Amino acid sequence: MGAYESIQNGRNGPALRVALVYMYTGFILFLLMGLLGLLMRMLHAELLRLPPQWYYRLMTLHGAGMVAAALLAAMGGGIAATSNRLTHDLRWLWTAYILYFVGVGLVPLAVLFGGFAAGWTIIYPLGVAYASGWTAWSTFAFLLGYLLVALGFAAYCIAMLQAVLRRYGSLSRALGWPVISGRAQPGEDVPYLQEVVATVVGICGLIAVLAGAAALVPYFAHNLNLTGLVDPLFVKEMIFLFGHTAVNLNIYLAAGLAYASLPAYTGRPWKTTPLSALGVNLVMIFVFLPYFHHLYQDFAQPVFLSAIGQFGSYGVGVPALLITVFGGLTLAYRSGMRWAVPTILTFVGFWGWVFGGIGAVVDSTIAVNQVFHNTLWVPAHFHTYYLLGAVALTWAYLYHLATELSGRHESRTSRLAAWLYGIGGAGFVMMFFTAGAAGQPRRFAVSIPSTGEQTWAFLATLFVLVLALGLLWLTYDLVTRLGPAWARARGRA
Amino acid sequence: MSGWAAFGVFLLLGAAWTAAWAFVAARSGGSPLGYEDVSRGAARVRRLLATPILLVLAVVYLVSLRWFPYPSFATQRLGPPSVRVEVRARQWAWELSRTEVPANQPVEFAATAVDVNHGFGIYSPSGRLVAQVQAMPAYVNRLVVSLPGPGTYTIRCLEYCGIPHHGMAATLEVK
Repeated sequence: MGAYESIQNGRNGPALRVALVYMYTGFILFLLMGLLGLLMRMLHAELLRLPPQWYYRLMTLHGAGMVAAALLAAMGGGIAATSNRLTHDLRWLWTAYILYFVGVGLVPLAVLFGGFAAGWTIIYPLGVAYASGWTAWSTFAFLLGYLLVALGFAAYCIAMLQAVLRRYGSLSRALGWPVISGRAQPGEDVPYLQEVVATVVGICGLIAVLAGAAALVPYFAHNLNLTGLVDPLFVKEMIFLFGHTAVNLNIYLAAGLAYASLPAYTGRPWKTTPLSALGVNLVMIFVFLPYFHHLYQDFAQPVFLSAIGQFGSYGVGVPALLITVFGGLTLAYRSGMRWAVPTILTFVGFWGWVFGGIGAVVDSTIAVNQVFHNTLWVPAHFHTYYLLGAVALTWAYLYHLATELSGRHESRTSRLAAWLYGIGGAGFVMMFFTAGAAGQPRRFAVSIPSTGEQTWAFLATLFVLVLALGLLWLTYDLVTRLGPAWARARGRA
Repeated sequence: MSGWAAFGVFLLLGAAWTAAWAFVAARSGGSPLGYEDVSRGAARVRRLLATPILLVLAVVYLVSLRWFPYPSFATQRLGPPSVRVEVRARQWAWELSRTEVPANQPVEFAATAVDVNHGFGIYSPSGRLVAQVQAMPAYVNRLVVSLPGPGTYTIRCLEYCGIPHHGMAATLEVK
């Protein structure tokens, strides 16, 4: 492969339009959910006062909405980044979008009108058969929303697997196994890394959806009085197997976008080598092992599963750091790279992925988890590798896509805005880490004075405003690029 | 391990990573070098880094096993518990079979719940989170812990359990 191949190939306009719809929908949703996050920080800073039920409603909506937004945008990026070599079945992709969209729409309905506030992880049996402060119909609406989102994601996974199979004929070739084993023939059509990522996400995504179904069935059955209490530990395992895997696949999808865009700025190819392909393939093992760390404090869980959780949590970081991030930094080092919004956000993305990963490894050490579990350390680390990792990488690609398609030039202010996103975001998450170390519980409507959380939340609010300033400018850029980008994807410009 | 000590380790590792990241960022836009040369150098650095990273992770993993909070490990470390406290969580209150326990001696808290998941979190008089365990229906989770020093400890719910969750608290006298 050359250093960089342009996104358009003359035939992929329809796929690019689907990708734009996915990514812009995700971006708008992200802005709205971010606003709710700001409100939550302001509530802890006591800059704003609302009854506690509203804190928990905002929390539920923010969590569910943000996960949905980030994943949808990364899914769109995955389509665009593979569309110049793969032929996607657009019916599946539109079906996935509609299911996903309707599912996501049910969530605010349940929260804002039904008062549903069980948190995005809805740990069974919360909100099923007990009076917890919200209406029964809202629980159904929320669960139905999740079901549709899961089905939408499954349809997407099927579409991606179809597309790679159409080109490579078998999953093993699409996963790059001939490259890894050194058996690839000279001139053989080997998959690009973003296509290997699409394959891995397709396979693991379908497994995660099965776990999600296993978790949702007891919820529905219990709500309809078809069963009594189902083993809550089992349901918890399934919830986290689904939730943890979906969120982590989002990160790998986003990393796949860097494979596709960074060569445009460094002039160097991000090749499918045995090592880089192995790094992506290892995700299939490591993405499933760490989820046990969500259940460390369930002492009834067999100890060996917790030990596997710690092993997997340590292990998952090694290929991510030494293969993917290291590969990205190598691609940029002394490349004479043009600093542009996508490269700044990609660098922010690498920083956040690893920095948040360090926070995750510390917390995944069971002895440490005793004092960090369910404190603000948890949102601290996942906001770091989400907001400053996966999401930053996704916006880097969205900006790259919209700029290339629209032919617009970026300004110095846009580059400054991208740095503000990173700086504001870093300050914001550091306040979370500090409050977590001080013992402030997460999912808690009030700040505990001994933890100093009110001060940390106040400082976090200021940092969020810095981030928001940068994001506002980037939003303006993205909105003004959409029209020409769409027209170009329709072949009109 | 105290939260602040872990925070210190985190800051140290985070600073090292940030320095490495900034080093690369500062040299990415300058005069270009051939990719072959860079790749060769990077492969050497990767090999140099891989061994110590894997070694440190393996050692920390093995050493940390001793500090598992699970009953068999805790009992081995602290000795058999002298006192057992039955803990029943319900929306939104704690029921403790006793509210007074000795300081600096292993105490067993057997936690369960009658409705939904709760988190049994013990905060020291100075506000530090000392230990925790989930209290969930259909299971009894046993936490063996030695509480460091006398005073009034606060029990807080650390697993979101419904709207009044943040008010679900109790006190424990440690003498």
